[in-house]
Amino acid sequence: MNVSLSAFLGAFRAGLLQLKRSPFLVTLTVVQAITFIFLVHFFGMTGAFAPTALIDNDKGYYAKTFIKSLENAHHSFNLQFMDETAAMKAVEQGKLVAVITIPKGFSENIANGNTVPLKVIVDNIDTDMTADIQRALPSAITAFAKEFHSPDIRVQTEEFDLIDHDTGYIPYLVTSALALSALIISGILGAVTVAREFESKTVDLLTVSSVHPLIPLMGRVFATNVVSVFAMFVAVGIVILGHGVIPVHPVEMASVLLVSIIIFGFIGACLGAAMKRTLPVASFMLGISLPLYLFSGTYEPERFDGNTIWTIAHFTPLYYAVGILEHATLDLRVTPESVSFNFIALFGWAILSLAAMLYFVRRRTT
Amino acid sequence: MPTYDTQDRTGVVPPAICFSHVSYRIKNKTILNSIDLNIAQNSIAGLLGPNGAGKTTILSLVTGLRNKTSGEITVFGLPDGHREIRQHFGVVLQETALYEELTTYENLDFAASLYNVRNPKRKIHEIIELLGLSDRANDSVKILSGGLRRRVAIGRALVHDPQLLIIDEPTLGVDVEARHAIWSHLRLLKSQGRTILVATNYLDEAQALCDTVSVLRAGELLITTTPEALLTRTGFCLDIQSEQSAIKSITHVLGKHHGVLRIDRTPSGLSVFLSGETVPDHIIRLVVQTARIEGFRVRPPDLAEVFKTLEERI
Repeated sequence: MNVSLSAFLGAFRAGLLQLKRSPFLVTLTVVQAITFIFLVHFFGMTGAFAPTALIDNDKGYYAKTFIKSLENAHHSFNLQFMDETAAMKAVEQGKLVAVITIPKGFSENIANGNTVPLKVIVDNIDTDMTADIQRALPSAITAFAKEFHSPDIRVQTEEFDLIDHDTGYIPYLVTSALALSALIISGILGAVTVAREFESKTVDLLTVSSVHPLIPLMGRVFATNVVSVFAMFVAVGIVILGHGVIPVHPVEMASVLLVSIIIFGFIGACLGAAMKRTLPVASFMLGISLPLYLFSGTYEPERFDGNTIWTIAHFTPLYYAVGILEHATLDLRVTPESVSFNFIALFGWAILSLAAMLYFVRRRTT
Repeated sequence: MPTYDTQDRTGVVPPAICFSHVSYRIKNKTILNSIDLNIAQNSIAGLLGPNGAGKTTILSLVTGLRNKTSGEITVFGLPDGHREIRQHFGVVLQETALYEELTTYENLDFAASLYNVRNPKRKIHEIIELLGLSDRANDSVKILSGGLRRRVAIGRALVHDPQLLIIDEPTLGVDVEARHAIWSHLRLLKSQGRTILVATNYLDEAQALCDTVSVLRAGELLITTTPEALLTRTGFCLDIQSEQSAIKSITHVLGKHHGVLRIDRTPSGLSVFLSGETVPDHIIRLVVQTARIEGFRVRPPDLAEVFKTLEERI
């Protein structure tokens, strides 16, 4: 056997044995992978629907139809039916963003073609939610008027969808969160594994051996990848079984996750070699992961966020990983670049990380 | 152990390690200044000096962990940086640098993979037996004592059968019993034909173990000699407890004696450093004849005292 292969396999085996004897670390890694899925899930849940009280003082046919229009207003209202007293109390307690009151005589007035004022109380503490209400209400009113061919509505939208299916916000988020989980767990494990070699000075023994230290270091990083694969397997299971997201291209999804684990492991290893300390590098890795994630098309395709942000996004590996993942899982094209281009970009990151690591490991010996 | 061509074309056996005017500087600070050093094959050579003397730096230059600023280094006749050199030496660092979660056997097995050792199982078992680690082979390193860890680290350095063993502080932080066990293992390795380069802070270790001792201080090589010759140069130290009134007359008498190298005042009296040829009994007799003393003690000098004596005499 070639000495490099022997060193790589020896390091891989030793790394696996060490991890096998660290069940707590493996468990925490799995928990970490799942945590980020839940994080974005809750973000999606809390950010998508405005809790809104609905007071129906009419209860007539048109009132019921209008309520249906409100409920169908895309990802806007979490309607809660209340009487006026309960609604006002809930607003005061900060439990509601808005209170919509359908006045008595609403159905009769609509039937007679009269204009009906709709009382809306808004807790405008947060312009984000306030704007949601302001946008969603006219949309619901337009939909309501369209249904009854109201002559007062002059402009009506005719929607043509670019994609033949709608995608829920939470499925979109949890899919991109898989890339974040892969970055965080593989990156931290890779970084800590390499930094630990410097802290414990075992890297010196690798350096004086007959192979380049990068080879056994890579063997050890690959051993951590096995743990990352296991953790991601659990995370993907939650996305599929828990969120009902069935990957459209499962092989592509498995491939991109595997490639991401390996490449993010390299990036972590490179940072570990540069920083040489486990605690700072773990914190740093976690610290940079979240901003990188936000730049990667997490909430919507990054091109919608303006040219500057979109250009910056091209320098993050997560942008490409999220691009492939959204395509593999939900058949969405969130980057103008093709899937194969995104894969090539990820491999470019791998080569860049290895080259940087080579520099940091070599630099230590001079 | 594999055989090496340790003779050059003229049939002359080259030194295991040769330093010729080697200097090492970091920025503007000189860590080693023009070191000339020859370490013969099949010997135990000691680098002796206090912390910061440059011992570990010399080991790092031999192993390639650092690059010299100037001068020439050869290992078995090969210039430093030559790829083949790495196969010829095994290294034991100051920190044992073992993988804590792995067992003794697994640590050696990993080291064997780094050198692609053939039939590693047999080799590892041989080393484990040689170093008396058989009953701890399957124990996790984290539960081993300091002395056992040192032995595992030595075993790891031997796994690819190197001709040269480089050890930084072989008995650092180990108890007396483990210390003697390590010394006897190192002597055994030498008897098998290996060359051993040891860096140590301890004079007694150098005396017990080494064929030659190179004394370093602040990056300068003060002397390379045998431990016996070093002892002859420094001799014993005689601590005398006495009242202030007697000190002056004792100093006056001993100051003229050719066997006294140096006299230091101490809070309780005097420390008298004798040359290696001087018999302490003769000096004690002379002191007792000169003045009334409260007590005395004969002891080997410590490292700092040796350096002081060497500096005064070289």
